[in-house]
Amino acid sequence: MRVSTSWMQQQSVGSMMDRQSDLSDLNIQLSTGKRINQPSDDPVGAARALDLSHLTADVTQYQRNITTANARLGLEDQTLSNVSGVLGRVRTLLLQAANGSQTDETRGDIAAEMVQLRQQLLGQANSKDGQGDYIFAGNRTGTAPFASQNGVSYLGDDGQRMVAAGPGLQVATGDPGSAVFADIPTGNGKFAISAGAVNTGSAVAGASSVSDPNANPSAWDGGDYSIVFTAADAYEVRNGTGTVLDSGSYDASSGGSITFRGAQVAFSGVPDAGDTFSLGASAKQDVFTTLDNIINTLRQPNGGGADMQNGINTQFANLDQAIDTITRTRGMVGARMNALDQQSGLNDDLTLQYKSALSDVQDLNYYDAISQLGAQTTALQAAQQTFTKIQGSKLFDYLR
Amino acid sequence: MADMLSTGVSGLLAAQIGLSTVSHNVANANTDGYSRQLVSFGARLPEGQGNYYVGTGVNTVAVQRAYSQFLNSSLWSASSGQGRASAMASLTGQLNNQLSGSSNLQTSLDSFFGAVQDMANAPSDAASRQVLLARAGGLASTFRALSGQFNQLSGQVQQQIGDTVDSINSDSQSIAKLNGLIRSSQATDGTPPADLLDQRDALVKKLAGQVGISVVPQNDNTISVFVGNGQALVTGTEAHALGTAPNMYDATRREVIGAASGNVLSGRIGGGTLGALLDFRSNVLDPAQNQLGRTAQALASEFNAQHAQGADLQGEIGGTFFDVAGPTVQAAGTNSGSGTLDAGIGDIGALTGKDYVLSYDGSNWSMRDTNGSSVALSGSGTVADPFTAAGLSLVVGGSASAGDSFRVQPSRNAAASFSVVIDDPDKIAAAAPLKATAAAGNTGTAAPSVGISDGSDANLFNSSSVVFTSATSYSVDGGPAQVFTPGQPIVHNGWSMQLSGAPQAGDSFGVQANSNAQGDNSNALMLGKVANLGVLDGGVTSAGRAYSQLVSQVGSAGALAGDDLTTQTAVYNQAMSSQQSVSGVNLDEEAANLLRYQQAYQASAQVISTANNIFGALLSAVQG
Repeated sequence: MRVSTSWMQQQSVGSMMDRQSDLSDLNIQLSTGKRINQPSDDPVGAARALDLSHLTADVTQYQRNITTANARLGLEDQTLSNVSGVLGRVRTLLLQAANGSQTDETRGDIAAEMVQLRQQLLGQANSKDGQGDYIFAGNRTGTAPFASQNGVSYLGDDGQRMVAAGPGLQVATGDPGSAVFADIPTGNGKFAISAGAVNTGSAVAGASSVSDPNANPSAWDGGDYSIVFTAADAYEVRNGTGTVLDSGSYDASSGGSITFRGAQVAFSGVPDAGDTFSLGASAKQDVFTTLDNIINTLRQPNGGGADMQNGINTQFANLDQAIDTITRTRGMVGARMNALDQQSGLNDDLTLQYKSALSDVQDLNYYDAISQLGAQTTALQAAQQTFTKIQGSKLFDYLR
Repeated sequence: MADMLSTGVSGLLAAQIGLSTVSHNVANANTDGYSRQLVSFGARLPEGQGNYYVGTGVNTVAVQRAYSQFLNSSLWSASSGQGRASAMASLTGQLNNQLSGSSNLQTSLDSFFGAVQDMANAPSDAASRQVLLARAGGLASTFRALSGQFNQLSGQVQQQIGDTVDSINSDSQSIAKLNGLIRSSQATDGTPPADLLDQRDALVKKLAGQVGISVVPQNDNTISVFVGNGQALVTGTEAHALGTAPNMYDATRREVIGAASGNVLSGRIGGGTLGALLDFRSNVLDPAQNQLGRTAQALASEFNAQHAQGADLQGEIGGTFFDVAGPTVQAAGTNSGSGTLDAGIGDIGALTGKDYVLSYDGSNWSMRDTNGSSVALSGSGTVADPFTAAGLSLVVGGSASAGDSFRVQPSRNAAASFSVVIDDPDKIAAAAPLKATAAAGNTGTAAPSVGISDGSDANLFNSSSVVFTSATSYSVDGGPAQVFTPGQPIVHNGWSMQLSGAPQAGDSFGVQANSNAQGDNSNALMLGKVANLGVLDGGVTSAGRAYSQLVSQVGSAGALAGDDLTTQTAVYNQAMSSQQSVSGVNLDEEAANLLRYQQAYQASAQVISTANNIFGALLSAVQG
């Protein structure tokens, strides 16, 4: 075939340009380390890379959320631990106060310390986090949740802040003060027992419990009842309208339990005829009221009698409910932190997975690229050498 | 002897012409479009001498160019293909570059939604709210920047269309002029001068690179050039100019027309740079702008909807967060009636990336998409019952005349108008405006959740209670008994309450304002979920995913154009090689010819010298 000299030259130049353009592409790939430098390099891969980096960003955000949540839960746990300490001290003091050797004066000293403890507790319940939000205010984080004025009232709400810890997983990062401090059941959680104000005997109501409703069909029904001692060794159980439901004998010398309708109450001491103890369904009482009641009980003049003992026992049950609530809440906080840790581990795995997928999609295979670089360079050199060789051999050169 | 002289002279002259042609070929070895020229010789008529004939020398019959009409035509069509592919590759390359920046929309979306979640972690923190607003602003400016880049590219395309049309017109004129010259200067045998033909062919090839053409040779050696569906560019010595005119719906968009006829040629031009520009504009850039707009609309619509379910720090219902333009309606410039068209988005999930034309035939409205496919309309076009199709809701008004039409671009300008409305961080609705509670003594399993169905209801924040008189009937605030259907919401005072689980007789649920709840993040958590919420394409494609689609759409166009360029370049090179193998100048060949004619010249000179010697010998013999 005839070959046009100038076209041959143009083609040689053209092929050198092509090689150079390939080299320039390789250069970009090698310097960025990426196989896809613009969408047209691999349209599907480019879209996949975007999706994967979005997924990675999502998981990174979940990890940030978990860090924040852990900080909040850690703070709550720390605060609750302090609260536990305070309530533990209150319990120790109350045990001391219940000791028969105490006098009005020493009980007054104990009450004085309890006033301090109550203040401390109020401070803990009104704790703020790093951002100045009250941590036990539910969602009303801008308002101190426990206002101390004629007793303590709860100004927060029942809201619970959640955090997105993973795809589809939300974990609570706090507990409202209502659940932790305010709405604490009285008595044993099912019913509360209180001694009649005009009791004259030395009978004291002690531990009480409710039998398992599954085992006992005629279980505690939540009604109002009263136990009336008709003599030092006999009692009657009456309902709200005074109807006698049950009666029995009581051994005043060794004490004993009175059981009816699934409820069981331990008594000690010698009742006088006409002494009454009333049982009512457990109500809600905040921990501050419990403390106030304890302080008031301890401050009663001429104390140390059965009435004070009954008062202390009643508040003891309430205090234990409060301590239980705090312990339970701490348990939940721990469980949440656990869940967050697990999710964080999962998120780390996901991140790794996404990142390796992303790398598969968009990162350059350096071995390939460098061997290509060698091949392309050789090709360019070959094109250049061929060009000079061919351009150098012309018939005109010999016409001299 | 005289015969010998004249024979020698004829050889000398022939060799000279040969040498001139070789020189011409060598001189034009690098001239674009030049065809090498060949001299053809013929023996002169012999002189009869009775018994025999004696030759009388050589005649130069013709100087012709080495030329193949077939190969030239293939070259022209290859040139159209190559011109188109290379323009397309460069245009899609620009578009791809715009999407390859590291600060892409996905990054902006991720950092925006990251800020939403950060705010969910600290809803009352002014700093986290401020950051969210800043990120929202960043997202909006990414949308606008991308849209601006697309618009800029669109402007460039427009400019290039104009420039290309100008260049085509000037080439057509040159061809027409050459047609005239070629017709009037012909050799005695009717062959026109080879160099003029070459010039014309070179112009035709250049023209073919700019627009797909068909060339028809005429008997008088002129050629006619047509473009598109028979629009003439050149006939004889006349050039017919192309022009640009505003689009019938959009005066800022220029279409290619026949300058004299006014016929719009845009849809019918293929091949060449102009074909690529028009194709790129309507098949790559427009869909890309629409997809970006759709992404903006999807994000704004879902985020705004969720934002309106929340309450801000002042306890007010969340306002519009993002502002985004809806469909653009453009009336045809030729409309004669007073008809109007209002278009809105009826169902964002059904929104497509296409543009539509709604036209009136005197009694009925019909709709077609940009490809000309008919789209079924439902509804009657009134405010109460608008036409709905392709996610649009269309209301016609006024009185349209037969033949009137409107173009609807659902998403074209959405990204350009994307902006953040809220500028006060306190106005971000992170909290739930209402809270629903189940009464403590409820015996059923139903758990309430409450949302906003009408945020403008004056009684929205009033406390209400829903009391069930049986498992299937309830009353709100002591009102009349209503039937409860499980799964159906209870709607009152602008709120809507869903119950999960089954209520029992006597159960009651309260709804009240979630007042003072600056620590509530429940709506912020929902806002965070919008990131991955399917909105488009029937609720399967999230805004982020729509952007990935855009990237892959643009990337595919770029990859396709790149592949096409490789193919078309190979085709062009092949056609050029074939054409050049016939018409190109090979310098070695010319060097050989140079030698050949030089030798012929020297030999003829020798003939003359010999004749002279013979004549001298004869003279000296006669002189004695």
